[in-house]
Parts: sequence; C-alpha cells; structure tokens
Amino acid sequence: MASVAVTGLSKRYGDFVAVDDISFEVQPGEVFALLGPNGAGKTTTVEILEGFRKRDAGEVAVLGFDPANMATSLQLRERMGIVLQELAVEPLLTVREVLRRNAGYFCNPRSVDELIELVGLTEKAGARVKNLSGGQQRRLDLALGIVGNPELIFLDEPTTGFDPSARRGAWDLVESLAGEGTTVILTTHYMDEAEALADRVSVIAEGRIVASGTPQSLGGRDLGDAKIRFRIAPGHDDAELHFDNMSRVGELVEIVTDHEVETLHQLTGWSIDNGIALIGLVVERLTLEDIYLQLTGYSNEGLAERPSPSALTKEVP
Amino acid sequence: MASVAVPTRGGARQLRLVVHQIYFEQLSFWRNPIGAGFTVVFSVLFLVLLGATGGQSTVSYLGGIKAIQYYVAGFAAYGVMSACFNMLAINIVIRREMGLLKRMRLSPLPRWILMTGIFANALIVSAVQVVLLLVVGRYGYGAQMPSNWLALVVALFTGVVCFTALGVAASTFIPNQDSAGPVISIVFFVLLFLSGLWYPLKPGSTLARVSDWFPVRHLITATFAPFDLRPGVSAWSWNDIAVMAIWGVVGAFVALRRFRWAPMKG
Repeated sequence: MASVAVTGLSKRYGDFVAVDDISFEVQPGEVFALLGPNGAGKTTTVEILEGFRKRDAGEVAVLGFDPANMATSLQLRERMGIVLQELAVEPLLTVREVLRRNAGYFCNPRSVDELIELVGLTEKAGARVKNLSGGQQRRLDLALGIVGNPELIFLDEPTTGFDPSARRGAWDLVESLAGEGTTVILTTHYMDEAEALADRVSVIAEGRIVASGTPQSLGGRDLGDAKIRFRIAPGHDDAELHFDNMSRVGELVEIVTDHEVETLHQLTGWSIDNGIALIGLVVERLTLEDIYLQLTGYSNEGLAERPSPSALTKEVP
Repeated sequence: MASVAVPTRGGARQLRLVVHQIYFEQLSFWRNPIGAGFTVVFSVLFLVLLGATGGQSTVSYLGGIKAIQYYVAGFAAYGVMSACFNMLAINIVIRREMGLLKRMRLSPLPRWILMTGIFANALIVSAVQVVLLLVVGRYGYGAQMPSNWLALVVALFTGVVCFTALGVAASTFIPNQDSAGPVISIVFFVLLFLSGLWYPLKPGSTLARVSDWFPVRHLITATFAPFDLRPGVSAWSWNDIAVMAIWGVVGAFVALRRFRWAPMKG
C-alpha cells in the first residue's frame, strides 16, 4: 500500500484555484519532492495531507487514513511528523525542555538526548530557544518534526534561509531518515535540493502537476537536447560560424542541439581550420533548473539573455 | 523532575499528559519576566501601595468598614482577570502568530489537553496571587479574613472560568502580536477603572450603572461579599455570579466560533 495516495485533489480559495486536480502516489521509504515556485500550491497540498486544511474535491489517503477524518486524526498524527515552513519554537524553554515536552505527546518517541546529538545541538541542549541562532532554531524545528519517530514526515521548504553548511546538515539528516526507511515528502523551490534528496519529483505550477519523474529523467532531461557553450575572443572573424539554434550574447556562444557529436565535430573542425580558439568549451545536458524553468513557464529567450554566472566565468586555459 | 508521559493506554496516559502539559505551561509562564511581572507583581504591588496610603480609612457608604477589606477583594479579582483575560489573550495571540498553536494542532496532543493546560495555567497563576494577597492583607494591613471561604472560592472560580472564556474570545479579535499587548491592556484598564477597582463605587451612581453591564465589576463585588463582615450582609452574591456566568457562556460561544490555529498574517 502506498504511504500517500492522492487522486484528483482540488482546493479553491474563493475564485482562486490553489490546487487543480492533482494526483500522485508516494511509496513507503520513498523521498518525494513537490517542486514549484512560490504560490504554486505546494504548501496547500501538504497542508491538506497533514489534515490542516480541508479539500474541495478528490481522494486522499495518508498511511491509509483520510486526513480530513477527525475521528482518526490523533492516530494519524501519532505516526507522522511535520516541519512547517515557518519557524515555530517556544522561545523561553530550553532545547531539551522543548524536545522533552513534545516527546511526551507520542507513544513511542525518540530518545531526546540522541535526537539532540543527531541535529548537532548537544552544546546548546541547556540553552533557551530564543538564544539560539536562526540555523540552530531551524535544526531544533527539524528535531521536533521527528521526535515522535514518524513513519512519514512532511518537510515544507525545510532549508529556506539556511546557510550552505546548515543546508548540508539538513540534507544529511533527511538522507539518514530515508536510510532508516522513513517516507519523506518535501516541498522546495530549490532545484539542487530536489536533485540531491528526492527519489521522485513532481513539478507543480499554478496548482497543476506539469511533470513527474526521477530528478535524472524529469522532463526528458536524459534524452533531449544538449547545450554546447564556448566563448570566442574579441577581434576574431567568426562571421562564418552558423548553426541551427545558435545564440550569441557578446562573446558567449550557445548552441542547442540533439546531435552533439556531429555538431562538435563541425565546430572543432572550424576552430582548427581558422585558428580560432573555443574558450571554455563545455557540453551539458539541460539542468534540472532549465527543465524547471521551462515547465513553470519561463521562456527560453529569457534564459539566453541571462546566462548563468558559472557559464560566464568558467574557462579552460 | 517533570513527568515525561510513558506509553500507557487510556485514562492513565491522558492524565499523565495533562500533568505533563501543565508543567510545561507553568515553566513557560514563570520564565517570562514580563508576563509573570505584570500579573503577580502588579497585583501585590497595588495592594501594598493602596494599603499603605488608604487602607486604614473607612468607607462611609459601606457602613464604615476599613478600605483594606475592599482592596484585598478588589486585587484578588484583578489578579484573576489579569491572569485569565489579559495574560491569556496576549499569550494566545503570540503563540498563534508564531505558529506554535498550528504546530500543537498538528501533533498528537489532544486539543482538550492543550486547552486544559492553558486553563490550568491561568487558574494556578490566579490562585498564587490570591494567596499572596491574602497573606499581605492579613499580616501587612490587618485585613480580616472572609466569613465564608466557600463563597470566596466560588466567586473567584466563576471569575476564572468567565474571564478565561472572554480572554480566548478577545484573542480572536487581535490580528497580530504587536498590537496584542496594547489593545488588550487598554480594554482591560478602562474596564477596571470604570468598575471601581481603586475606589469602591457608590451603588446607583452613573459609573456603577455603566459598569454593571460588564463582568469586571461583578467579579469585584462577588469577591468582596465574603470580606464584607457587617452583620446581616450575605457572603454570597448570586446576582454577580449569575452575570459572570452569562458573560462566560457568551465568551465561550464566541471563542469556539472564532478560534483560529494558524497565524492571521499570511
């Protein structure tokens, strides 16, 4: 049985359709990411699964329970963990007190001391929450999400506002939970987060799921076009350089092709024949970010005008 | 040590969980210098100051009894109101806007236990203040103790229930934590002033007639009744208790209808 099964889920707020007929399943032990821009419907979807919001239409089963059924809600909450988007920690209690309090709400909680160690707050165990840094508070928040030893955990944008090392730490924690067999549902608008953590990704935009798959195959990423990028030093005559789907921004040249071997052959031949270097030549598949931007409605033209900083600075000597 | 609830079944576990929750509510309350200060320290300080300045004077239209009798009762009532209405309403707004209520709502803690914890916290803080005020009144200013303790307990407990309901109801009208303190405090102190906390109102005066519509004055007079030791005066003020009960029911109705777990912002 799937940990989470959603069929035809819809939710409106007045005239605004927040979630529009979406369906997906998450299997036990899987890490599933809902990826989408702000306002796409990620949080609404997760809040319906958590039982915090009522749906307008569709079927939802979470660990076999209907989250809208109040009669079974405590049984369901006993088995799931939640990390909300906003930080929500009691400011005047210490780290250990907050965890001990919430551990008491569950029948089979984790050991509070082990949990403090797991999230790296051992040195702060006796400190009041208000005296923790933002990143430390967020780690406590994560600890509160898993204090009940959940089978299923919801992480709503778990690393928004983290510095890179705190982010890495949170990822490690999610990976270790997944390694223990916990089912994880996370929402994020970071492509690299979905790519690093998720077994499967659904991209959501304007309330609809526009693509689903593994991070590697999403949107035909493993099959489709490649990008060839390079620069030509100023002052060289490159008027003869013509390829389909070629774009130039200053010195930067980008060619999108589905026959990258032939294209490269022609390109390097031209380079050698004319003695013009292809500075920083790279061939890359569409990144998850490219796919995401395509799927969520940004134009490719817009992208070509805003080459990523790494493309501009990477150079082969 | 605190009770950390262990996995037992049914009633025993629920009872442990109630105690567990009350312990952490109390811990949070006494850790908050502003919250603890404004309620407990204020009521005792008021009594000390007023007792020292006018406590031994007599109140002619109360048959010449000493004012300290009135002040002990008045500030016991004040203590209950500040714990159950003022402090509780502000506390709920802050927790709601911080997302703490939402998180609680999504945990397996039954809602009735969460609410019991909040109520018990207000009750304990009220009781601590009443005891302190009685001790200060008795040994500091020679106040005479009530003729009928049960009447005092019933009056104050009705006040606790009534003002807790009103406090929860009031919290639903405050949109954010910045305005919670000022708005609640202004409403509270205006009602206190109108209701004759700092000086006994003459029965039948305009102020008395206005404040008769609100529950504040009724808690003060119901609490004062057992301290009014003149012969032939009843320690029970059923009329005041009934008005508080009505306000409590209205407050509970509004609270249940309007209560929100999620922050109002965003």
